[in-house]
Amino acid sequence: MTTDTPAPSETAPEPGMIKADLLAGLFFILLGLAVFYGAWTMDRLEVRRIHPMTVPGLVPGMLAIALTLCGTILSFRSLRTPASGGWQQLSGAVLSSAAARAATVMLLALIYTLGLVGTLPFWAATGLFVFAFIMVFECWLSEPRKPWRKSLLWASGLAVVTATVVTLVFERAFLVRLP
Amino acid sequence: MFDGLLMLGGGLAHFFTPVSLFNIAWATLLGIVIGALPGLTATMGVALLVTLTYKMAPDQAILCLMCLYCGAIYGGSRTAILLSIPGTPASAATTLDGHPLALQGKAGTAMGLATTSSALGTIVGIIALALIAPLLAEAALQFGTYEFFWLALFGVLISGQLTAIDDPLKGYIAGILGLLVAMVGMETLHAHQRFTFGISSLGGGVDLIPAMVGAFGFAEILGVMKRTAQARIISSGDRVIPRFSEVFQYKWTTIRSGLIGTFVGIVPGVGEDVGAWASYAAAKRVSKEKHMFGKGSQEGLIAAETGNSAVIPGAMIPTLTLALPGSAAAAVLIAAMFIHGIRPGPLLMTENPEFLYQIVAILLFSTIAMLIFGLTLTRPLLTVLQVPRERLMAVVYVLCVVGSFAITQRMFDVYVMVGFGIIGFILREMKYPMAPLVLGIILGDLLDLNLRRGLLLTNGDPSPFFTRPISAVICVIIILTILMSIPAVSTRVRSIFTRGRGDASAQG
Repeated sequence: MTTDTPAPSETAPEPGMIKADLLAGLFFILLGLAVFYGAWTMDRLEVRRIHPMTVPGLVPGMLAIALTLCGTILSFRSLRTPASGGWQQLSGAVLSSAAARAATVMLLALIYTLGLVGTLPFWAATGLFVFAFIMVFECWLSEPRKPWRKSLLWASGLAVVTATVVTLVFERAFLVRLP
Repeated sequence: MFDGLLMLGGGLAHFFTPVSLFNIAWATLLGIVIGALPGLTATMGVALLVTLTYKMAPDQAILCLMCLYCGAIYGGSRTAILLSIPGTPASAATTLDGHPLALQGKAGTAMGLATTSSALGTIVGIIALALIAPLLAEAALQFGTYEFFWLALFGVLISGQLTAIDDPLKGYIAGILGLLVAMVGMETLHAHQRFTFGISSLGGGVDLIPAMVGAFGFAEILGVMKRTAQARIISSGDRVIPRFSEVFQYKWTTIRSGLIGTFVGIVPGVGEDVGAWASYAAAKRVSKEKHMFGKGSQEGLIAAETGNSAVIPGAMIPTLTLALPGSAAAAVLIAAMFIHGIRPGPLLMTENPEFLYQIVAILLFSTIAMLIFGLTLTRPLLTVLQVPRERLMAVVYVLCVVGSFAITQRMFDVYVMVGFGIIGFILREMKYPMAPLVLGIILGDLLDLNLRRGLLLTNGDPSPFFTRPISAVICVIIILTILMSIPAVSTRVRSIFTRGRGDASAQG
């Protein structure tokens, strides 16, 4: 499919990834069991006398079994593969500066989406978000840091333009009542 | 045959109007820009544009979306050649030879060949689309509930298998997660609400567009912003328009790659990136200049670009005739078609046969636009590549929020987008492909409904799922696919074949 297939490689998986697979495998087992419980206890609509083979929980239950099975294979495979220093590598990746950058984007996005949108007028929330995003990534988290005067100018300009254009285009041209 | 040609003429005439030509021009150009910008992918572009085309006439909306899709897949090659970063994952294979060519001072030649190869690849795919789609649509009329259940399962499985080449297990898990997401909301057989936990917004299930905008938009923003290294643009002033001999010299590579790309496109949920890699590998295997591959081989570049562009028309074959998306972007196109009242599937050729030929015409027009823009707008596109990602991504996130919100105008869809973005990012970091997940979301309902409807029709007897001829064939293929993804089984099967060949050569 478009977009996201990793390039075929013949390199062995990194130790950190093997340990991450173990955690993911355990998570999928838990998720699978939880979904199976939900599917098993789902209303079987006996009152409506539907055929027992067509109950709403049938497919979710089958998928839950498949997920649990895949999670188990993933976990076992991870346990059987030697991965010395895997946990250290994994914790290093989670605490790396790259992860911090991604976490900052998530934080800014969550503040904008869950906090600002709906509380402030849409244009103001958008302007603030664009301004903060550019300033944080150009003057604080970039290497080398960019001169703050130039970034301030760009961030303010782009914030005003984005807030105005997006609000006008969607509200006037597409008649969307923005949040 | 004659009817087909007439309808194709009708399709071409239908879009030969000033408004349509204007839409073709801007949508293809926008696609090229989106494809060229690292971090903006074809699927993300199509998903965001659905919102902007919401109020257009159905034919014009699909025209814009298709043109953007074609433009974006081509546009990625520009970044691959000049920056050594694939603009979209579809151009990853282009990087291998495109960038070395640029380093040798042949950036213009590489860009020119990428443009002509993309155009030729699309044309090979278009011919296949026009020839195969009507036949497949007719054959699909024989498909019943049982066959559609197996097809949906096959689509998710094969997508999982082929998009996670190193580790099919992760592809399967992504597919199952997608199918589980599709289980949320009201099921269609008995109108029972599943896994809604009393949240009324979940009653209608998870909408595909916000989920896609999250998985391909927000997740991509997180991935791009995570990286710190900025690439340097390599460009040169050599000629962009290639000589005829340069293109003609590799005619067999072009045809082979076009056919491989088309075939990959037909396989549900397996998209342009796999098409490019498969074409590249095949070209390398049979080339007389194997040693040049990866060091600036024109043949390698041609194979990769022809392969990824041929996937687009190829992907439209199952999309239009079976409503099984041939690629991630095609999944968004299906959602867009439903929004505009067009129902892809086996009945399309009966209800709306002109539509297929309109798609063929759109692809032809967009190829021409791509060729013109690609060969002429070299400098402006270079400027686009210099836009700092810190500034671009802030604006793109705002578009993700507005894009998810605009269709149904509820904040719940924005939360879905954010949720899918974060989960999608974590899954990508752990090398889970996104394509099977998306395919699972779109095919989940088809799989669930057809399995239970089939069982209802037979009063609980599952035997028709295994005894009807087409069902049995698809079932056997599924079992073989799963078996071959188990390393122990595939190694043993390969060793049997190798031994057989070894014995034969020893006897000979």
